Amino acid sequence: MFPYIASLFILPLVVSGLLLLLPKTAARVLVIASSVALSILSLYLFLNVDEPFYFGLPHYVNEIVAGADILLLLYFGWVAFRKKSLLVGVMSVLQLGGLLYLLKTMPAAESMQFMVDKLSTFMFLLINVISGVIAIYSLKYIDEEECSSFRKKYFLSILFWFIAVMNLIVSSDNLEYFFLFFELTTLASFLFIGFRKDKESVNNALTALWMNQIGGLAILAAIFFIHYNGFGEGTFTNLLANTGATGILLPLALLSVAALIKGAQMPFSKWLLGAMVAPTPVSALLHSSTMVKIAPFIILRLSPALRDTPVATVIIALTGFVFIAAAIGALSQDNFKRILAHSTIALLALMIMMGAVGTPVTIVAALALIMFHGISKCMLFLNAGILERVFHLKQSSDMDRLGEIGPFTSLVITIGFMSLLLPPFGAFIGKWMSIETLGAMTADKKILGALVMVAVACGGAVLSLLYFKVMGLMIARTGESDKLKFEKTGPIFSGTIYVLIGLIILSIIGLPWLVTEYFAPVAATSLNVNEIPVLTEGWNIYIGPIKLPLVPLLIAFFLLPVTIITAMFVRFKNVDRAKEYMCGEKVNYTFSSFYFSTDKATPYFYAAGVLFFISLIIVALI
Amino acid sequence: MNDYLIPVLLIVLAPIIGGLVYGFERVVKARMQRRIGPPLLQPFYDFLKLADKRKMIVHSAHAFLGIMHFVSLWFALGVLLLGGDLILVIFLHLLSTALIILAGYSTRSVFSHLGANRTAISVLAYEPVLIIIAVSIFMITGTFETGAVYLWDEPLLYKMPLAFVALLLILPIKLKKSPFDVAEAHQEVTGGVELEFSGLFYEAVYTAKWLDYVFCYTLVFLFAGSNILLGIGLIVFTFFYLNALDNSSARVNYKQMLRFSLGVAFSLAFINLLINILS
Repeated sequence: MFPYIASLFILPLVVSGLLLLLPKTAARVLVIASSVALSILSLYLFLNVDEPFYFGLPHYVNEIVAGADILLLLYFGWVAFRKKSLLVGVMSVLQLGGLLYLLKTMPAAESMQFMVDKLSTFMFLLINVISGVIAIYSLKYIDEEECSSFRKKYFLSILFWFIAVMNLIVSSDNLEYFFLFFELTTLASFLFIGFRKDKESVNNALTALWMNQIGGLAILAAIFFIHYNGFGEGTFTNLLANTGATGILLPLALLSVAALIKGAQMPFSKWLLGAMVAPTPVSALLHSSTMVKIAPFIILRLSPALRDTPVATVIIALTGFVFIAAAIGALSQDNFKRILAHSTIALLALMIMMGAVGTPVTIVAALALIMFHGISKCMLFLNAGILERVFHLKQSSDMDRLGEIGPFTSLVITIGFMSLLLPPFGAFIGKWMSIETLGAMTADKKILGALVMVAVACGGAVLSLLYFKVMGLMIARTGESDKLKFEKTGPIFSGTIYVLIGLIILSIIGLPWLVTEYFAPVAATSLNVNEIPVLTEGWNIYIGPIKLPLVPLLIAFFLLPVTIITAMFVRFKNVDRAKEYMCGEKVNYTFSSFYFSTDKATPYFYAAGVLFFISLIIVALI
Repeated sequence: MNDYLIPVLLIVLAPIIGGLVYGFERVVKARMQRRIGPPLLQPFYDFLKLADKRKMIVHSAHAFLGIMHFVSLWFALGVLLLGGDLILVIFLHLLSTALIILAGYSTRSVFSHLGANRTAISVLAYEPVLIIIAVSIFMITGTFETGAVYLWDEPLLYKMPLAFVALLLILPIKLKKSPFDVAEAHQEVTGGVELEFSGLFYEAVYTAKWLDYVFCYTLVFLFAGSNILLGIGLIVFTFFYLNALDNSSARVNYKQMLRFSLGVAFSLAFINLLINILS
């Protein structure tokens, strides 16, 4: 098994190095070939890893990791000095101090540093397949970017390096290693966001840097407290082995803080929103398969330990709040990518919440959401890139003619939004989960359960409103022409989109199979139980005590998408056409989607977010 | 088999029942204003007249969405009457409203757009309240299945009176009655989303409104549990309340509507939910 796992780490690194050197045509072949190879490797691993697989590296590697940590932090310090960013500087100094202290006081690690289980292989599959698609797409996108040819190579190179780091982070067990990879993803996002080098990019990159550095600091503190409270080495295995012990809550809370920051939960949502200035494949990468998905990953890893603790309660309350707040925030956005970013934050909140509740059903739901959200969001962002490159559209209010000039793109975007909303994707999983949440709560926590349910329901309503707003633009057209001719966007753009559409359709058709064969075993690993009973009986799927009615779900699924897709193609014959009624006015109106000025509420949302984070630490201390 | 007889009959006859309710409503409203008003069957005469009109559309997608709005609303009503999951019913109702909103956005007509925007805001105003009511019902009965709620022995009204008041407050929004009829306000947006439909295609949107009556009064009926007499009483009361309110109030703007609905109705429903949890 080891060679396969190792090649998941080494192959992208090698590709990353080669891409800097190779000429363009060779780089093209290499990117496509290695993306396919990585996908196949991860699929193979997913099918073949059953038991957790531990492996270690020689001890001198620990020294290398420590050295790399220090170098990385020195680099951050240098960035702070050069860009005159006080926050980045303070964070780097704090981290460096903490790291040196830990290196001095901690005994040398004895246990294996890496652990690959079904949850890791699940993440491998997501990371490698989706990022591979994005890498292929980037070939064309970055080719049209206005920058030197070296920077184009450099972009693809960081992309593969990012994939390697992500593969490493989901398989590391030792928290010191985890810290290094965590910081490396931070570095990758910093380089990506600052890629365009203009003032806004640099500022947003620095914001992303210091915010994520707080996460790094939290991990260091977690390692310290694990040791200080007498649990020995800082590893995930060790943490989970000591579930329920006194003093374990603080490290858990600190790791959760790191997760919540990576997951861009309020008040740390700013870094993800700022990441929009980067080239679009970066957004696709950050939102779908890498970076933010570390957040639900950490929570899923820790969920057996978190379950039913006060820390979990605060996380549930926080994410319930963020779910609504991000959805409301999205309503005031006009930039297409910003709308997508807000909905990512909202859905991440949902995933983290489900992980924190930690019952079998919610874990299955969290996994399903992680995967489906990865596919849909990736497709939507890639389309946002196509809109920019092919149609030169960035604001959603300019898109009201897209249905005529780019019917295929508008159709695909509509499908993408619907897949975020409909079962098995967004809204319904929320409902399913909240019932379970409520059932799982003891009587004294029922109020929290009710609040969560209300949050999920209301947030879901707001989100669906948002999606319909965008879909409305996609479907708009004049009555002048009935012709429908799909536009051509080039083989790489359309090819990647076809792959993702195929994945969406397959995952919908294969839902019953996916739940039983794919999500349930992974959830069982994550929960440390042997098996989660999943039954398909007639038209219902039973997961433990929860029934998921398939028939109404399927009908609901057919009703909306089929209707909207048919609406694009249907043509009534023998009917006269009328112009729109203008009430006698001769003024030309511009049509834009309506938006709600919810910006005023944003500072309050941030303030509430800060309070939640403080209370997260306080409950862990008590 | 008998269990299904009444629901299926109700579902099949829903457009006719809704049309009769609408006709009766026009009579009652006229009498409240000391007019004679149209005959009871006037909605059906209108229906026949519309069918005879020249067929005109703006574009096919728009017309098709109108028809699908009717179909999906009928389906949502069917699930509600057959005892389906309440959250699913609310979700399906949202989908059907979404289709008419999308139809509104799909044309380049000002009034249609404004109407679609206002309909979207109306959804935002009543949807959370409905969901909280559904959760309260879950707290009492332990299930979301409406089939179990129809058979519940003790009328839910006694345990959730505030939720019932909240429902009464949002029903005018859902049924587009004054003071919350911004979505189709004829004097402002000349009917909103309905404007660009005509003839046979308007028929679908027109009868969908009748279905909405049946849908709303079924929601009212839920509060009576298995007590059918009380259920009918509630429906009659709600009917007169809605018409009296429609006749006696002036339209508010959408901001006031949203503030009122999320401020008052939502709070009432939520307080009720808390009481249900604590007791």
